[in-house]
Amino acid sequence: MKKLLAVLLAAVVGLGLAQEQVTIGILSPLTGGAAGTGLAQRAGFELALAEINAAGGVLGQPLRIIIEDDRADPATSVAAFEKLMTEDGVEFIAGGFASGATLALVESFRTFQPIVSWIGGASSGIGNDDFEGIEELLGEEEWFFHVHPWDYQNVEATFGFIEDLGVGSVALLHEDGAFGTPGAAGLEAGVEQMGIPVVLREAFTSTLTGGTGDFRATLSKVGAANPDMLYWIGYDSDAQPLSSQLKELGVAPAYVFGAPPGWPTGIEAAPEMECVMGLIGYLPNLPNPEAVAFANAYREMHGAYPDNYMAALAYAQLWSYADAINAAGTTDQAAVIEKLQTMTFRSPMGDWSFKPSVIAKHQGFGSDMWLVFQFQNGVREIVWPADRATAPLAACR
Amino acid sequence: MDLTLLPQALVSGVLASGLYALVAVGLALAIGVIGIVNFAHGEFFMIGAFLAYQLFVSFGFDPLLSILFVAPVLFVIGAALYASTIRFVLKAPELNQMLLTFGIGIILQNLALMVWGGDPRSIGGVPYRAIGIQLGDVSVGLVPLGSFAISVLLVGGLYLMLARTPVGRAMRAVAQNRIGAGLVGLEVNRVYLVAFGLSALLAGIGGVMIAVIQSPTPTVGLAYTLKAFAIVVLAGLGNIRGIVTAAIVVALAESLVATLVPNGDALRNAVFFALILGTLVYRSWRKT
Repeated sequence: MKKLLAVLLAAVVGLGLAQEQVTIGILSPLTGGAAGTGLAQRAGFELALAEINAAGGVLGQPLRIIIEDDRADPATSVAAFEKLMTEDGVEFIAGGFASGATLALVESFRTFQPIVSWIGGASSGIGNDDFEGIEELLGEEEWFFHVHPWDYQNVEATFGFIEDLGVGSVALLHEDGAFGTPGAAGLEAGVEQMGIPVVLREAFTSTLTGGTGDFRATLSKVGAANPDMLYWIGYDSDAQPLSSQLKELGVAPAYVFGAPPGWPTGIEAAPEMECVMGLIGYLPNLPNPEAVAFANAYREMHGAYPDNYMAALAYAQLWSYADAINAAGTTDQAAVIEKLQTMTFRSPMGDWSFKPSVIAKHQGFGSDMWLVFQFQNGVREIVWPADRATAPLAACR
Repeated sequence: MDLTLLPQALVSGVLASGLYALVAVGLALAIGVIGIVNFAHGEFFMIGAFLAYQLFVSFGFDPLLSILFVAPVLFVIGAALYASTIRFVLKAPELNQMLLTFGIGIILQNLALMVWGGDPRSIGGVPYRAIGIQLGDVSVGLVPLGSFAISVLLVGGLYLMLARTPVGRAMRAVAQNRIGAGLVGLEVNRVYLVAFGLSALLAGIGGVMIAVIQSPTPTVGLAYTLKAFAIVVLAGLGNIRGIVTAAIVVALAESLVATLVPNGDALRNAVFFALILGTLVYRSWRKT
C-alpha cells in the first residue's frame, strides 16, 4: 500500500513538474488583398518554428503555433482572435498587419489581455488629433509589445534620407486610401519644414483598390511640375506601372522613390525599375551574419530568398517569444513580460529589444531598422545609411 | 487645370478604350447571347494574366507570343465551366445564376492564391514595356498602342464573325429567341457553349495584356470587371455593337477627369459610376 501511495505521489508531482506544450496564436492575412504580406509572415513563422523546435523547443516541449487568417479585415480579425482565446486557449498572440484590423481588435485585446506581440498596426495616432491610433490606445498596456516601427518612425527615416540627399523639390503621389493619404500629409509637412518645396501633391486610385494601373494622367502632371524627386506612396502592384509609364512618357526626375509595403516578386528584372529607390526593413544582402543565415535557411525551406521584410519580422518575433519563455522557465504572464522587457534578441536585422517609444512601453524596431535600397542592374543595392550601404547611390538623370 | 496636357489625355484615353472594349465585349457576349450575368468574368481575365506570367517564368515566352497558348486554354476553361455548371442554371432564377458565377469567381481566385500566392507577380524582362514614341508633346506608348491594336482586331473580328459566319448567325439567332432558334434546328446548348468559351477567351487575352502593364494578383480582374459592367450598362444590356462607343466614352471621360481635375485619378471610379447612374436615369426618363 505504501509503495502504491509512493508511486501515485511521484506521478502527481511529476505531472505538476512536466511543462505543458506552449502554443502561440497568430493572426495574419493569408487571403485577400494583403495575402502577400500574410504569406510572407507565415513563411517566416514556419522557419522560426522549425529552428526553435530543432534547438529543443520551448520549456522542453516542441513549440506549437496556430495561424488564423484575418484577411486584414476588422470583423474577421476579431472572430479569429476570439477563437484563439476561447477555443484554442492560447496565452500568447503574435502576427498582425493592417492598422484597421488592429483598431477593431483593441477592445477584444483588453477583454482577454493575453500577451500580444504585434508586428503591424503602425498607425500610432501621434500628431493626428482626429484619430486615436494604436500606440495611443494600447501603448501603455503592460501586455502589449509592438514590433514594427510606428508610422512616425518610418517617416523619420525617410526625412533623414531626403535631407542627406539634398534635393531641390519634391512631387508627391499617393494612393487615396487610409494608407497613402495620412502618410502623404505627414511627408508634405515634414519636407516643407526642411525648406524643400512640394511642387505637386496628387492622389491616385491604387491597383489594389480598384484602379486599372493607368497612371499616365497623373504622371503627365509630374512631368509638367518637373521636380527633382518623385516620391510615391502606394501598394506593391502599383510599382511596375508607375515606373514603366514614367519612362514611357519621358518624365525623368533625378530621383524616384517608392514607398509600397512590399515589392512584386520578380520586379528586379524589369529594366524600367533601374534607379528606383525604396525603403525596406530587411534585404538578404545586409552585411550582418544573421541576415545571411536567415536568407540561406529561408531559401532552403521555401525555395527562394525572402522578398518581403515581413518574413524577417515574423521570424524575429517568434524567436523572441521562444527565448523569453525559455528564459522565464514558465508561461506565467508576469515572468514572460519581464523577460520580453529586459532581453535583447537576435534577428536578421541585427540585435533588437523592446524599449519605450513616445507613448508605448514596449516598442521593438525603430527608425534605424529602415534601409534605402536602389534597383541597380537587377539587384536591390542598399544605398543608405552609409554604414550599411552595399553600393553608392546613382541619380536617374 | 493645365490644358497643355489635353492632347496627352485624349491619346491616353483612346488607347485605354481598346482594352476596356475587349473585356466588356466578352461580358456582353455572355449576357447578350446566353442571358447570364457572369460575375466570374474578371477571373478569366486574371487566369489569362497568370498564365502569361507562368509561361514567361517557366519558358521565357514573350507575353504577346503567349496569347497563342492562353487563348485556346481560356476557351476550353470557359466551355468546360459552361458544360459543368452554367448550363444547369439557365432556367433558374437570375439570383441563382448570379450566385453561381459569383461562387465560381471566388473558387478561381482562391485557386490562383494557392498556385501563385498573394504577392503581385511581375513579368520582369519585357524590353518594350517602357518605350514611348514621342510625337511633339504627346507620348504614345508601345504597350498601350499594341494592346489597342490587338483589341481592335479582336473586337472587329468578333463583329465580323457575328455578322458573316454560320456560328455568328446562330449566336444572334439564339440571342433573339432561344426557343425559336431551337425549333428551327439550332443546337442551342452548343451555341451557348461556344459563346461562353469565346467570352472567356477574350477576357483571357485582356489578361495577357494586363500582365504586361501591371503585376497580376488573384484580384487583378476586379477593376476591369467593374469597367466592363459600366460599359455594358452604357451600351445597353446585351448590345454588343454599342460596346466600342461606350468603351471610348468611359476611357476618355476617365482620362480627361484624371488629367484636368486636381487629384483626378482618385475620381476614376466615381466617373464611371456617375456614367452608369446618368445612363440609367436617362433611360428611365426617356421611357416615361
